Amino acid sequence: MRSLRSSSLALLAVLSLGGCATTSRTEAPPPAPPPPPAPAQVQAPEPPAPPTTVPAVPLQKPAPARLIVQANPANPIVSFRLVFHSGSVDDPRGKEGITSLAATLLSEGGTQKLSSAQLLQTLFPMAAELGSFTDKEFTVFEGRVHKDFLSPFLELFTDVLLHPRWSPQEFERLRARALSDVRNGLRSEDDETLGKVALDALVFQGHPYAHFVGGTEKGLESLTLEDVKAHAARVFTQDRLVIGLAGAVDEALQRDVVSRLSALPATGAPRVELPPVPTQGGRAVVVQKPTLSTAVSLGYATPLRRGDPDFFPVAFALSYLGEHRQLAGVLFNELREKRGLNYGDYAYAEHFIQQPGTTYNRTNVARTQQDISLWIRPVVPANGLFATRGAVYFLDRLVKQGIPAEQFELSRNFLLGYTRLWEQTDQRRLGYAIDALFYGTPDYLEQYRAALAKMTPESVHAAVKRQLRPEALNFAFVTQDAEGLVKQIQDSAPSTITYASPKSPALLEEDKTIGAKPLPLHPDALQVVPARVFMEK
Amino acid sequence: MRHRFIPLLLLLLGVALPVAAAEQAASPFFPYPMKVDRLPNGLTVIRVPFNSPGLVAYQTVVRVGSRNEVEPGRTGFAHFFEHMMFKGTKNHPEGEREKVIATYGFDDNAFTTDDITVYYSYGPTAGLLKLVEIEADRFRHLEYSEPAFQTEALAVLGEYHKNAAQPGLKMEEELARTAFTQHTYGHTTLGYYDDIKAMPQAYAYSRTFFERWYTPDNVLLVIVGDFDDDALMKAVNEHYGPWASKSATVTVPAEPSQTKERSVHIDWPQSTQPRLVYAWHSPAAKLDTANAAIQAVLADYLVGPTSPLYKELVLDKQVAQEIGSDFSLHRDPHLFSLVAVLQDEAGRAPARTAFNAAVKELVTGKVDAARVEAIKSNTRYGLLMQLETAKSVASQLAWYAGIYGSPDALARHSQKVSEVKPSDLVAFARRYLTAANRTVLSLTPAPAGGQK
Repeated sequence: MRSLRSSSLALLAVLSLGGCATTSRTEAPPPAPPPPPAPAQVQAPEPPAPPTTVPAVPLQKPAPARLIVQANPANPIVSFRLVFHSGSVDDPRGKEGITSLAATLLSEGGTQKLSSAQLLQTLFPMAAELGSFTDKEFTVFEGRVHKDFLSPFLELFTDVLLHPRWSPQEFERLRARALSDVRNGLRSEDDETLGKVALDALVFQGHPYAHFVGGTEKGLESLTLEDVKAHAARVFTQDRLVIGLAGAVDEALQRDVVSRLSALPATGAPRVELPPVPTQGGRAVVVQKPTLSTAVSLGYATPLRRGDPDFFPVAFALSYLGEHRQLAGVLFNELREKRGLNYGDYAYAEHFIQQPGTTYNRTNVARTQQDISLWIRPVVPANGLFATRGAVYFLDRLVKQGIPAEQFELSRNFLLGYTRLWEQTDQRRLGYAIDALFYGTPDYLEQYRAALAKMTPESVHAAVKRQLRPEALNFAFVTQDAEGLVKQIQDSAPSTITYASPKSPALLEEDKTIGAKPLPLHPDALQVVPARVFMEK
Repeated sequence: MRHRFIPLLLLLLGVALPVAAAEQAASPFFPYPMKVDRLPNGLTVIRVPFNSPGLVAYQTVVRVGSRNEVEPGRTGFAHFFEHMMFKGTKNHPEGEREKVIATYGFDDNAFTTDDITVYYSYGPTAGLLKLVEIEADRFRHLEYSEPAFQTEALAVLGEYHKNAAQPGLKMEEELARTAFTQHTYGHTTLGYYDDIKAMPQAYAYSRTFFERWYTPDNVLLVIVGDFDDDALMKAVNEHYGPWASKSATVTVPAEPSQTKERSVHIDWPQSTQPRLVYAWHSPAAKLDTANAAIQAVLADYLVGPTSPLYKELVLDKQVAQEIGSDFSLHRDPHLFSLVAVLQDEAGRAPARTAFNAAVKELVTGKVDAARVEAIKSNTRYGLLMQLETAKSVASQLAWYAGIYGSPDALARHSQKVSEVKPSDLVAFARRYLTAANRTVLSLTPAPAGGQK
């Protein structure tokens, strides 16, 4: 979850026009509600009828310890990217958080030769990077080093996996940190992440995706060092591994890395069988905590993922609706720029976790079962429901009307350029190449751009109508007056909004439509969860 | 000085010729060649060719930040104004610029700090000349309505709300307010909450702010990547050359010397971890001193991941979850800090004792020369590790150039770090890390279950 950073010349935190994304989690599932009423203005999508569940169609299985190389002798930096098809789905029930903690303990906890302090002291003069990141289905061990230090770094990097120290002291330290991440970081200090994690928990309730990747309070408390050791041996195995190397990489290095990693267990635990996910919409969770504002996330589980013929056009349409942290999206312009509701509003065709320091999605967070989501950054509580209705309104408009021709060309051109920025570092290029193995989508970004060139407004609209279903949305709110928000939702009264500055008659008229828009929410499917018990078990 | 061929057409258009030009070769302290021109109007243009086929990073550094907010009730304005820079001009009304950005697919945004505001675009070289045109246009001809201004103020309020859930914002506010009694570093870049709420009434002031600081002599352009330098400079001269205004002079109050230790405590109403901050007034980043380089090394020396304090407090005793420093370069004297995120309240006393002991050891002259060398190595290789993309190179250059006010500041700062001696740390500690010069901040969370 954290990585060792090189210091001294790092840029400090700053205020930006455009925020931050994160990981996922769950609560005790609320009782299954009846299906939501079809909102008056939401027309049924065209045939075929939407699926009632999202099946778990397995991702592809690359050969054990498959090697991906992107050599670039001109680059003095060598990048290592070890990607295991192992994540929080592998956490046994009652031991939620064990995969993430195991990865952290490996990457930070020292080796048989070096204590954690000695490991830091060895890496430091090199300014080398060694860290791990765990998501639902994947865990990545990343390393970067200048070629001047390649040999000592290679030994360290492989030793953390092959010869970990398993120090009881480090186990306690890192478990305490993981617990703090749940008790403080998640529940108290980041409403936006809390909303996203709450949405994950709601949409995937009862599913291995449901709990927070970092773990639950009880799960982390129950762990022992022996549990973690055994778990690492079960999930960080050759049959789940893809090895990525980039930069100043020659054949000798490739052979050396593959040879060393052949010491990992060949196999371990059987793959977790993921259950189908109901596509039921209309549910809401309201996480109650002291806060100045209301954070909102909304979305639903979808069978759509990379490799599906509809994925590219839907990804394009949702980029038009709200590319993450960019200024041209419909949601950003309508909700923030015109109405001043908040700091930003975005839309996603697949699960999105912002890579730190960028506005791009992390690589190697692939999922068997995906979600489509919208993100409304914190809004003053009085406007929380209006903003939510606004997001649904503009999503609905996209489904009904498609993308106007002029905006279509602009959005296409934007993505033809912007997607090139997603592959500008060795680690990201490796990440895409490795994701392509699991999704079965070689040359993914090239294919995306080629598909964009062929799309028409009509072809995109057809895919949108097949895949985007506002009536399937589920909602997560983080707010202080949870009861008040629930009452507002149940009353179904129109949301009104007032402005401190003059607005055009057309906008005010549209506000009436937005404010009156029925949310696809079932009044009996609302659940209030106090933040202090969120992800307790 | 470099001889440049200037097309006749430019002369006919009355475009000013550069009055200063320089080329800087690659060096161990910045591994790429760099060209710098200064236009007659004072605009500085920094270019670095970089192997990023078809891509370019374009950054505009304005040497204005919350430091410049000298009028009462106007805190947060540099940041707010950054938002207003996206609101259009007569030539490109609101939304038009975004169409150009979208046409090419630029990653386009901006950020504000205590000292500088940076606007950045990163994307296809094919859009570079158009980018020069629209960027020059908004810096020369920004125009926005009062209603648009009032609406954007709400987005800034939303940004404050987003950040307010974290104790960090409150800590920053209280530390600044306590440590600075006169200087504008006494408020954060985001500004006071009440001032943010009052922003919609400050339309007239916003124009004043623009005219004061958005001037060519207060701006540096940084362009890194794959581009034709002659074509770029032709466009820069054409579009920025006629920009004619001078930055204002306002008096940023000097902070008087602190003569007695100060402290501030925060009772945080929610669940979080206790915090401890030691912050000493420390000198500014100036190219004629090594003060900033010494502080950069000192931060790692005292609380970096290989420091004895880190080993003791984080790894061995585990009374702190994290320790570090919030030190960053500033144009004026700011703060050098040690920060501990404690496991629980019981760790506060041991952390204070350990901080005090580490400082005392340094003051007595005991310094580990090998660790100083390791820090310098980390700095040298850390920079090389960070210069991976055109954008990251531009960001580093822009940051140092903006703070120090010189195009070659990144290389010069790096060189100064390489020259830091163990005795420099001792001398610095003796002069600045005194009890009288220190502000101590503590934060204690609500007891477990104290959250609603």
